[in-house]
Amino acid sequence: MSVPNEDNMSPHMQLSSHFFGDLLDSIIVDVASECHRVARLGLDRNLEEEEEELRLSAQARVTVADPSNSGDTTGKYVVDIFGQTHPCVANEVFDCMNCGRPIVAGRFAPHLEKCMGKGRKARAKATRSSTATQNRYSRGSPVSANSPHSNSTSTNRLLNGTYSHTVEEYSNGTCEGP
Amino acid sequence: METRSSVFANPKPCKHLADYKLRHGLSGYKFLQKWLKTFPNGKTSIKMCETKMPKCSFCSGIRQGRLFLCLICSSMSCSDHTLLHSQSENGHDIAVDIERSELYCCSCSDQVYDLDFDKVVVAKNIVDMPSKTRDSVVDDLMRRSSKRRRLNSVVDLDLIRSKFFVWMRGRRAKSCYPLGLRGLNNLGSTCFMNSILQALLHAPPFRNYFLSERHDRETCRKRSSDQSCLACDIGVIFSAVYSGDRTPYSPAQFLYSWWQHSANLASYEQQDAHEFFISVLDGIHEREGKEINPNKDNGDCQCIAHRVFSGMLRSDLTCTTCGFTSTTYDPCVDISLNMDTSSFSSVDVANKSVRPNEDTGRSTLLACLDLFTRPERLGSDQKLYCQNCQEKRDSLKQMSIKRLPLVLSLHIKRFEHSSLRRTSRKIDWHLQFPFSLDMTPYLSPSIVRNRFGNRIFGFESDEADISAEFEIFAVVTHSGMLDSGHYVTYLRLQNQWYKCDDAWITEVDERIVRASQCYMIFYVQRMLYYKANEDLSCTPMPSRRDPFVPIAGCC
Repeated sequence: MSVPNEDNMSPHMQLSSHFFGDLLDSIIVDVASECHRVARLGLDRNLEEEEEELRLSAQARVTVADPSNSGDTTGKYVVDIFGQTHPCVANEVFDCMNCGRPIVAGRFAPHLEKCMGKGRKARAKATRSSTATQNRYSRGSPVSANSPHSNSTSTNRLLNGTYSHTVEEYSNGTCEGP
Repeated sequence: METRSSVFANPKPCKHLADYKLRHGLSGYKFLQKWLKTFPNGKTSIKMCETKMPKCSFCSGIRQGRLFLCLICSSMSCSDHTLLHSQSENGHDIAVDIERSELYCCSCSDQVYDLDFDKVVVAKNIVDMPSKTRDSVVDDLMRRSSKRRRLNSVVDLDLIRSKFFVWMRGRRAKSCYPLGLRGLNNLGSTCFMNSILQALLHAPPFRNYFLSERHDRETCRKRSSDQSCLACDIGVIFSAVYSGDRTPYSPAQFLYSWWQHSANLASYEQQDAHEFFISVLDGIHEREGKEINPNKDNGDCQCIAHRVFSGMLRSDLTCTTCGFTSTTYDPCVDISLNMDTSSFSSVDVANKSVRPNEDTGRSTLLACLDLFTRPERLGSDQKLYCQNCQEKRDSLKQMSIKRLPLVLSLHIKRFEHSSLRRTSRKIDWHLQFPFSLDMTPYLSPSIVRNRFGNRIFGFESDEADISAEFEIFAVVTHSGMLDSGHYVTYLRLQNQWYKCDDAWITEVDERIVRASQCYMIFYVQRMLYYKANEDLSCTPMPSRRDPFVPIAGCC
């Protein structure tokens, strides 16, 4: 934003420009004065520790992004620290506590849903908002819609994946799964 | 690493200020006090004459930057001429910025600070406040709240820990993986549950409670035969996971119980881990709470869920016209934080995530906490009724933390609504989070002090009985899209990070964790973290719990 040439300005413009400059200076000094006080009184957080954490984080992201690093194995064909391997769909079998039938662990949830009579039909009746779980701990003052601490709605949710009944094993051993 | 024993460092005065105080004591300050005027936004100014504009005595400029009032002769100088004044009048070094009520040493050309001056300013601030606000603020500033009950709770949980530790000492320690590391089978889109369970299984005070069998399953079953008890079921999981058996465990009974409790969330597909977390704590509270709190004492519930996770938030609503502030307190078991999206330009492609400029240092956890505690100007369509003004006024709202829990659970709201397009999308940005977290700047005393210009009050700066320093122990991460993705938990045990991906437990380097996309972050008070590390030597629990039977192998 270029500053208008003083000579070309009418006296009114000069005056208003002057006032604006004063106001702006005043605000800048406000901030400077506050920061000066915070620094002198030792109120600022431990900046060194913060900077160290930031540095470590940046470094970590660089390292992880580098394709040459083996890094995080996301496939589920890995061997865990106890030396065990596991199939994509958990194959432990136990009895359903609702109907008594033996069920494979990895398919227990969909079975239980039907078994307990819940599921899509029931879901349509009940609202998906979490008002039921709110009860005693309603959050914050109920005033502002923009409140950073407003009650959570049904959309404040990150969902985990849909379950596919036919587990497709890819040739390299990765599993498509939830 | 030491906690600061006093909140303020009382700065050493320059020799001019020291000199002034020796000669004039507090007389200058006291004289000034009647001209101090407090504004609703917390700023304090000096107004000596209602009719004339203050002018610099040297150059007669009305507004030449800052104007300083000499504390000895009351002459006014602008910032260009303060040095001139102190040079022409011997000993007239100390002045005060009339717009901000800050002391200034003309000879040092620097702002200086004095405890006694701040006391005088604060005293005037308190007098100027609307009366109802005054009482609560004075309470805040003097931190007169009773802390005793809270202390007992911490001591209590510490006792549990020592019992547990004594019992564990009977085992022979072996150098292998820590106890309590065990995979959880995915029962069909239940990674949201597994990820939270892993965090709960390793929250030190929560763990100690259940492993010391404080929740008596026998008594509980007798009391209510058919009703499911989430605490009982969690106790079962604890026993299983800490048993030494390393094959993945299926938390089926728990899922069944939880669905009975949260009927509205009972479907196998697509759940949110945070919702689950709240639901579980609520379930534990419902059962335990009734027995433990005969009178409905909401703020200090003694159920294990609240004792470990519950803190208190404070919300201040300030009228911008008169400064009247109404304060409310609400308990909370976690804090949901918005990410600061204002600094990024959004390129909105339906359902795709937005990638910010990689160099921005804005997406950090501390920035989110700053945003959470920032004063928020409520829109003019949201005017609130001010008791003092007796009409609707523009208001400021500010959140702060009144009381920290033992385990601090932070939830990152990674979704964004676009009201225009009526869509939601996930914010995939990386959020930096520290492994050590100091929550002091977000506590109510710090926030309130800041509102009043961070004046030195000189009241007894007491240490919090609950420290504000935390250490991370678990991170729940989400990868993928808003409606389909995967949860994984990283646990920090004895300074080694482990990745808990359903049934698979692997060791990972801390850099993987730092670079991950956090969704929920769990911190525990530093002292509890270090104590927990001591406990976690690898001593497996034999199935019969006979302390004298030697253990052959563990993992």
